[in-house]
Amino acid sequence: MGEHTPAAAERPSVAELEERAYELREKLLHLCGTYEGAVHIGGDLSAADVLTALFQYGMHVDPSDLRNPERDRFVLSKGHAAVCMYIAMSIRGFFDFDGIVDTYGKLDSAYGMHPCKVQLPGVEASTGSLGHGLPLAVGMALSARGRGEAHRVFTLLGDGETGEGSVWEAAMAARSNRLGNLVAVIDRNRQLMTSFAEERVVFEPYPDKWAAFGWNVVQVDGHDMSALVGAIDGLPSSSSERPTVIIAETVKGKGVDFMEHNLAWHAGRLGAADLERAMASLAASRKERVA
Amino acid sequence: MSTTFTFGEMLSARSVIGSTLAELGESHENLWVLTPDIGATLVEFREKYPDRFIDVGLAEQACVGIAAGLAYDGNLPVVSGMLPFLSMRALEQIRTDVSYPNLPVKIIGTHGGLVGNGGSTHYAVEDLTLLGALTNMTVTSIGDPLMVGDILRQSMDMPGPIYIRLAAGKADAVLYQPGEHDIRIGKGIVARDGADVTLFTHGTTVLQALNAADVLADEGHSVRVIDMFTIKPIDAELVLRCASETDGRFVVLEDHLAYGGLATRIADVLADNGTALNAFERLGIPQVYAGFGDDEELREKHGYGPSATLAALRRAVAK
Repeated sequence: MGEHTPAAAERPSVAELEERAYELREKLLHLCGTYEGAVHIGGDLSAADVLTALFQYGMHVDPSDLRNPERDRFVLSKGHAAVCMYIAMSIRGFFDFDGIVDTYGKLDSAYGMHPCKVQLPGVEASTGSLGHGLPLAVGMALSARGRGEAHRVFTLLGDGETGEGSVWEAAMAARSNRLGNLVAVIDRNRQLMTSFAEERVVFEPYPDKWAAFGWNVVQVDGHDMSALVGAIDGLPSSSSERPTVIIAETVKGKGVDFMEHNLAWHAGRLGAADLERAMASLAASRKERVA
Repeated sequence: MSTTFTFGEMLSARSVIGSTLAELGESHENLWVLTPDIGATLVEFREKYPDRFIDVGLAEQACVGIAAGLAYDGNLPVVSGMLPFLSMRALEQIRTDVSYPNLPVKIIGTHGGLVGNGGSTHYAVEDLTLLGALTNMTVTSIGDPLMVGDILRQSMDMPGPIYIRLAAGKADAVLYQPGEHDIRIGKGIVARDGADVTLFTHGTTVLQALNAADVLADEGHSVRVIDMFTIKPIDAELVLRCASETDGRFVVLEDHLAYGGLATRIADVLADNGTALNAFERLGIPQVYAGFGDDEELREKHGYGPSATLAALRRAVAK
């Protein structure tokens, strides 16, 4: 573990993290069922376990001390998962969930489709246009190195997003500058907006691509909380020289049967009946897991 | 500054960038310099502060994004490179990563206008339009090599981003003695006073404008030359004052597309204030990809060289 991660005794267990991931999904569906516009629910659900593991376990962050220079930084490169991040942060204590669900997407709200730091100071960077987060994270990691600080910079990317050339420019810069304090997590749900990834764009051999850029590559089941915790626990020291990429194999729409592997649920809204179905499906998937 | 310079003496703006950044690196411990493989001018900084110098290689988008990441963490990053690529390939990063969160990233570079004989891939001729469209962005174009240092120093205290355009930057004529003018970002410089017509310009064509003013003086006409080095925000007060003080006669000369740069900004000020002119001549690059040739030849060919400038001034004063 890095020098600034919370002491083991303060951190939730895997079972507790699974409960918080469930709570996150419930809240996602609730927001998707009450907001009048579309929510990027598919990619929110695929990232729910990863963001739970990061915000509730892996990252040293303190909602009551937002500007602490020693905090770990998080950049949501996959800006489309803003709702998932807002709610993950609310569960961690950054924001009040009611404030999110009551104002989301409305005039003057701090919460919208893609995160804006100016409007919501609790987030570290304004993102949304894809392929931007990794370069930002590289800059933050360089800054940490320059100050001699040991915190880490985390960023979450979608796998589809890594079609952007700027991602690979930054991947090269991260290795060239020996940024072992940088951790990229890929939400590898294998779906673009309008296609299944390997149908239109060949990403494989995906881990090899990162390895070829000189990164330390870790592959996990992105819905297996103990595997995610293990990947976080196994991170090399932030003073090491190779950046780490955690490729989290995920399912778009995870936890709601009619959304999983379904291109229709890249973004959408849930009517009352669908919300009920989705909640029932989520509850059933939890039952299956607990059993 | 102990060294004195004479009007017209040639000096490299690039060397001024290099020495100024090396100087500023000492007083500003959070100053970083980044470049996409255009590092020759930055050697002094690189050698003094290797830990705050980043050359990302040929990767303009990441270069600007990394600079933004540094700025998010309280640093003052300067991105130095060739403007045709920074202003276009990395435009979205400049807009989204820098301007949107209003970060203090300075983008400085060479090859503004038809300079360098690189052909149309290597000319930044749309950059003032593109960068000028960005909220929070200050846009400048510098002709005097010594001014580059002034502008960089001033930019250290700016809360938001700035774009600093130079021409080729290799051998530029000194236009002003140090201390001759109060040079402030956002304020135009009255480089030559006059009452019959105002000639607005910026960057590499300021010298051409001053020379044209001399010729018109010999012909009995008094030409006011304004070095409007800040394109955005435009010094509207000065524009309006010139309209009333130089008999409503304007000529605008710029090494940029004739529409979308300084002339357009001045026209906007006039329209927004309901100010009518007697003459408005617009000298700049027409809608062409300009091809090869040296700077002087290209300006003549495309209608904004010295002879075209004299002709426009004569037409204006005749109205």
